[in-house]
Amino acid sequence: MRYSSWFFRKKYRTLPQTKAQKQAHTDFIDASLAQNLVVLQSIFTHTPDLIVREFTIKHTGEPAALVYLMGLVDKSSINNNVLKPLQFDTDITDTDGSFRLSIGQILRLNTWPLVENAILQGRSLLFVNGRLETFALDTQGWPQRAIEDPAIEASLKGAHQGFVETGTQNIALIRRYISNRELKMKELTVGLRANSAVSLLYLADVANPEVLQEFEDRIKMLDVDTVINTGELAEYIEDNPYSPFPQFILTERPDAAASQILQGRIVAVLDRSPSVLVGPVTFTSFFQSVDDYSTRWSIATFIRLLRVFAFFIATFLPAFYIAVISYHFEIIPIKLLLTIGEFRGRVPFPPFVEAVIMEITLEMMREAGVRLPAPVGQTVGIVGGIVIGQAIVQAGLINNIMVIVVAFTAIASFILPNYDMVAAIRLIRFAMMIAAAMFGFVGIIIGMMTMIGHLISLESLGTPYTTPFAPMRFADWKDTFIRMPVWKMRKRPLSARPIQSTRQVDNHPEGDGK
Amino acid sequence: MNVSASSKITNLQYILINSGLQVSVFFLALPRILAEQAGTDGWVSLIIGWMITVAASLIVVKIMARYPEGTLLDLLTHYGGKWAGRTAAVCLLLYLFYFGYSCLVQTALITKEWLLPQTSAYMIILLLLIPTYIVAISGIRIIGRYAEIVTLVSLWIPLVYLLPLKEAHWLHLLPIAGEGWQPIGAGVPYSLYCFLGFVSTFIFYPFLQNKSQASMAITVSNSLTLLAHLFVTLVCYVYFSPDEIREYNEPAINVLKIIEFKFIERIEVIFIAFYLLVFSLGWIPALYICAYCTNWLRNTQAERNHVRFFCLLLAIGSFFFIPDFHQNEMIEQIFLRLGILIEYILPIFLLLYVSVHDRFSGRKKA
Repeated sequence: MRYSSWFFRKKYRTLPQTKAQKQAHTDFIDASLAQNLVVLQSIFTHTPDLIVREFTIKHTGEPAALVYLMGLVDKSSINNNVLKPLQFDTDITDTDGSFRLSIGQILRLNTWPLVENAILQGRSLLFVNGRLETFALDTQGWPQRAIEDPAIEASLKGAHQGFVETGTQNIALIRRYISNRELKMKELTVGLRANSAVSLLYLADVANPEVLQEFEDRIKMLDVDTVINTGELAEYIEDNPYSPFPQFILTERPDAAASQILQGRIVAVLDRSPSVLVGPVTFTSFFQSVDDYSTRWSIATFIRLLRVFAFFIATFLPAFYIAVISYHFEIIPIKLLLTIGEFRGRVPFPPFVEAVIMEITLEMMREAGVRLPAPVGQTVGIVGGIVIGQAIVQAGLINNIMVIVVAFTAIASFILPNYDMVAAIRLIRFAMMIAAAMFGFVGIIIGMMTMIGHLISLESLGTPYTTPFAPMRFADWKDTFIRMPVWKMRKRPLSARPIQSTRQVDNHPEGDGK
Repeated sequence: MNVSASSKITNLQYILINSGLQVSVFFLALPRILAEQAGTDGWVSLIIGWMITVAASLIVVKIMARYPEGTLLDLLTHYGGKWAGRTAAVCLLLYLFYFGYSCLVQTALITKEWLLPQTSAYMIILLLLIPTYIVAISGIRIIGRYAEIVTLVSLWIPLVYLLPLKEAHWLHLLPIAGEGWQPIGAGVPYSLYCFLGFVSTFIFYPFLQNKSQASMAITVSNSLTLLAHLFVTLVCYVYFSPDEIREYNEPAINVLKIIEFKFIERIEVIFIAFYLLVFSLGWIPALYICAYCTNWLRNTQAERNHVRFFCLLLAIGSFFFIPDFHQNEMIEQIFLRLGILIEYILPIFLLLYVSVHDRFSGRKKA
């Protein structure tokens, strides 16, 4: 096919390389230290943070050089554990030609691509004159943040440790919850220009191998420069990227991630990103929070039902208002209608415009509040409160009922625990408003049918998004919009498609008779 | 025919699809139609109709069990040759298209009458085609899930129908068979009308996950339909007087008019909008089966393009012609006769033919 190349993009990309690099990449390491340093300089041109420390090993008298990138290493480790013994100790070479250094891991590399990667990852490289290999020392140490309370997923009773930007630390945080040898990991790398490590964590005897394979394949198929954030990774690998609904949970809580793994799901930890990816998930997963399991079950159930109610309010209330005012005012009792009419009479806009003005104002305030530093953020709240609460009504631009509607909508969307789901709802709310403005209740219902039709055809890693409601699985209802007592949940949720379903035996406390 | 594991539907989904097809739009006018024929004994005809339907649908399952891996079309091709299958496909296609079309038109007319008098029926049909397209294009499994969701979100509707019972006059129902059995008998064909739709078994049978329970499933499905219809009919009968009920075109809506809360008057307006969900179960599976038939006839890979074609056909067709209420009534009359012929009478002959054929060929082999 002559035109095929025009239709299909080139499948494999290569990065621009200089001639010296091309040559270097095909080559093995030279025996001469001087030659090696020349090649190194040709690979890392214009890299002032590349440190080359030349010295002589005291024990053998060989000239050597230690090479590393300044910001990515732990300086004290290099000084105390590498340079000091090599320069001053008299008995340091091992029988196999290696060095006895107090460093956790020493790799022996002999080709330039491996060397280049090791340096970029923060290892320090020890070149010794006359050797056809180099030693990669485990001296990584980059700027790190302390483990803090998660910012957007606050919890009252849950742990106060959140994920940080280092993959290995995040894995350790999860492992603290599941100290079991069945917790396995699959290491993958993503990105051509700067590869980032992705680790899939799962319980080998619980997670479904098909789902795992699917997850792995999708990540392996990626051919991108690099993946900066977990959200980006999610967008690359989700089943339906055109949908507003999130198909993976992003969580920054190790306890939430661990609990998902125990239910049979798979967690992807992306290095350098403070949140992890959980899949496969369902629509109802986005209405649950870790706190649900640490509060009493009846209260947790009540809160979950509130959230479902809030979902409907946040999606449909402004649309309902528009539909009632502009199409079906006959359903309102005459007294109420008169009151509304009194308010509405002063307002120059049609209900739809009125609603859009208020909703857009609300969304803008929310965005402003998120990005601004905390002291300024408070001001936004006060300004917004005055604008939305009083002034706009007194000015006769918007009527009182509309203010109430907007306030309800805002509160309803605030109690939903998942940010991605709230974002989806915000978008759908506007679509519903347009539908209501055009066709009244019929528009809303058609919008609802379309949304249902879309939701039921969504999948997350091949698992239907709307389980356990469609397809109906009554066994899973115990932990959806209601939360049964934990000792009632003896099986893992079917939506995670686990291969081992029993999660606990009978733990129900008996009475005196026992 | 190869049914992949990914396109199987559960028994529950099948039950709900089938009941959805049967209930769809028809329950609105049913109390009036029954009252016109059988007076207040209409509910007796309904029960008789249910018995007949159960028998007929068991016959359908019996036929399908002879060739469990294929639809009716494959079965007929197996028994009667290529042209038998094709004829059946065309008949089924035309019948179900008629079924879907009449549902859609009726929904559009009712919506226009009650909710959007200013909007043209054509516009409403266009609107209704949007979710139809999204659901039907994704195949049978999604239709099954759609039926489940619709059922779940409609569960509260029967509760509201309990409210008019406060002013019920149970005496309206007495005496049972006061005018003899003749009017009840006259009502039976009309009660069959509201059970039409189980013909979908002919297509959905091979997709069933658990075929051994198919007869149970279809009986449950028919009983569900009976319960829904019986409930609505009885509520209307005890609320309206026997003469009054004939005056309303859709008594199942008018009966809601009396419900009134402090904050909301005319609750029936909200109801009709909500009924669109229930109604949509009438034409979505029907249109999908049409697409299945054309797909089978053309022997192409997937139904997707055929669903698109039918949606487009409905959109364009409605632009030129939308029946008014009188024409709609005529459509229903034809539909009733056609339905009884195709769903109740033909299966009997088919079963006879198939079993005779099996016995004959079996003897030859032995």
